[in-house]
Amino acid sequence: MSVYLDYQAAKPVDPRVFEAMKPYFNEDFGNPSSLHNYGYHATNTLEESRRKVAEFINAPSPDNIIFTSGATESNNLGVIGAALRNQRKGNHIIMSEIEHISILNIGKFLERQGFRVSKVPVDRFGIINLNKLERLITDETILISVSTASNEIGSLQPVEEIGDIAQKKKIWFHSDAVASESTIPIDVEKVPFDLLTLSSNDIYGPRGIGALYLKKGVRVNPIIIGGGQEMGIRSGSENMPGIVGFAKAAEIMKTEINEEATRLKVLRDKLIREILKIPKSYLNGHPEKRTPNNANFRFDYIEGESLLLSLKDEKVEVATGSACSSKTLEPSHTLISCGLLHEEAHGSLLLTLGRYTEEKDIDKIVEVLPRIVRRLRILSPLTPSDLLKKLKEEEN
Amino acid sequence: MSVHKYTDKVMDHFRNPRNVGSIENPDGYGKVGNPVCGDLMEIFLKIGKNDKGEDVIDDIKFRTFGCGSAVSTSSMVTEMAKGMTLDKAYDITRSDVAEELDGLPPIKMHCSNLAADALKAAINNYREGTKPEVEVVTSCQLDVRVILGVDEFKGKGVYTEVPNLEELREKRTLIVDTGDVSLELALKLTEYTGRVIVVTSAKEIPGTVEIVKKLKQSDVKIVQQSELNEIKGELDEVEKVVIHDFDEDENYELFVDAVVILDYRG
Repeated sequence: MSVYLDYQAAKPVDPRVFEAMKPYFNEDFGNPSSLHNYGYHATNTLEESRRKVAEFINAPSPDNIIFTSGATESNNLGVIGAALRNQRKGNHIIMSEIEHISILNIGKFLERQGFRVSKVPVDRFGIINLNKLERLITDETILISVSTASNEIGSLQPVEEIGDIAQKKKIWFHSDAVASESTIPIDVEKVPFDLLTLSSNDIYGPRGIGALYLKKGVRVNPIIIGGGQEMGIRSGSENMPGIVGFAKAAEIMKTEINEEATRLKVLRDKLIREILKIPKSYLNGHPEKRTPNNANFRFDYIEGESLLLSLKDEKVEVATGSACSSKTLEPSHTLISCGLLHEEAHGSLLLTLGRYTEEKDIDKIVEVLPRIVRRLRILSPLTPSDLLKKLKEEEN
Repeated sequence: MSVHKYTDKVMDHFRNPRNVGSIENPDGYGKVGNPVCGDLMEIFLKIGKNDKGEDVIDDIKFRTFGCGSAVSTSSMVTEMAKGMTLDKAYDITRSDVAEELDGLPPIKMHCSNLAADALKAAINNYREGTKPEVEVVTSCQLDVRVILGVDEFKGKGVYTEVPNLEELREKRTLIVDTGDVSLELALKLTEYTGRVIVVTSAKEIPGTVEIVKKLKQSDVKIVQQSELNEIKGELDEVEKVVIHDFDEDENYELFVDAVVILDYRG
């Protein structure tokens, strides 16, 4: 079996979730819009599921939850829907430099539609500059979108403070909670989110389903038009197996999140401690203010895809912020925004732990990685000659 | 994804690269690529004669910083060229190398297949009879020239003196190499922040032997053969700088919080 350390990219569906979903493919297959018994059952299941997802984030009412096809759609509905809804009030939107690509590209889309988009810079740990955020706000500002945590470096954003600033200025605050959903409990009664993006797969539910939380009184313009499902905000026949799976995943996560996060943090801290023993290796992101399952390293003089391929040969599956493994051939915008040089961003290694990660998985990567880094450094023209000499001696 | 599309041959050369290393006093030396783009290759040649009196490649070595296909193409080109006459080796093209490897993923064809170019550069270097570049360690003083934004951001993230290092705590600080005083400041600053970058026009790490030794052991990031062109920001705060890399003759941006230019007379 491979060691899988790329939980931020994809998570397996929890077997308990899979079991719960099964009847909804061919037994309880009804459409909630139908008035017969199949439809009636489906309506009950839909509302029961909505309640469970609402409870997961401590939302006061199930009506706060709009089901979507996943986090990307929730981000589109939340940001574009809110922008369109408020365009008479103003045309200015603020997001952070290190938002997920799905938010950044929505920003580009809105700019083409005549909106003005500002980006708040982050510090070297990837945490936004609150002072700058406050100063960027104008009378035209209608929305702030900052994720709860970075999907790449795990840096936790000061969402309570952002929410307070937004509230004071009467601006809506949208947050993409996907990167922290499986490790940090969300309480919308405590943090003044106006809109919140949730994903099912990120809590071990199926893909193709997600939700947008809307605080009472917050309405967005629909971006998918049709039969008026989901209170007219998101049309389309409900994905019932997906919704049931998402709800089950939320129910499990709500009870297990604290224990799971504590367990993962112990493993992750060990991983960081051991990997940083490699000379000229660094941790990207904040040493403490980060999601408990995230570790992101960089190694001077070597490139990330080579690391990834070499680890793959050892049956350790990881991710990198290097350009060579991306579709755009650009290095990670998150690492660049933290102030890394391109060549440093190219040498990054992203490790994310999850529900099925065990200590032996950590031991395995800790065993193989130093050797791989040494081999690639011996190969690299960037390695300084004195270090090269030392590495060659170690190799023999 | 591209990663999965590497052929067995590419993976074989990646796992067991042939002819890795360097040659002391090479007859030819070629370097292509750019670490900023994620690829950098060096090729070293030792040239001999065959019985017809033609130039042949007696020995060839390479070093590569780059992705899987960058390593594999470098390894393959050395294997192909070893023992070849110089004329024949010069005719090896990028697509010859890709073909020998049973193909490369399309996205890698243009970016990583620089190996043939590195070989050509090394052969050119030999034919032109120039001695392969010997790199000289020099510390260099800042020219008197204008850096855009210095006046605009002075006191707002740009420092021409730093009486209180505490002000730079945890700030990403870029220091322009203006001699040993600036380098000593960089070293000292590592006690206050984890991110200190020195931009220098020198080819090697500048400074006295002792400072160079300390810099190498420290976490100070040295950006060589480059100069600071411009300081940018919004709402009276430094956000990023534009660095000009003269080796590659290109500009790029770097996010920072503070810029230190001691003795700026621009």
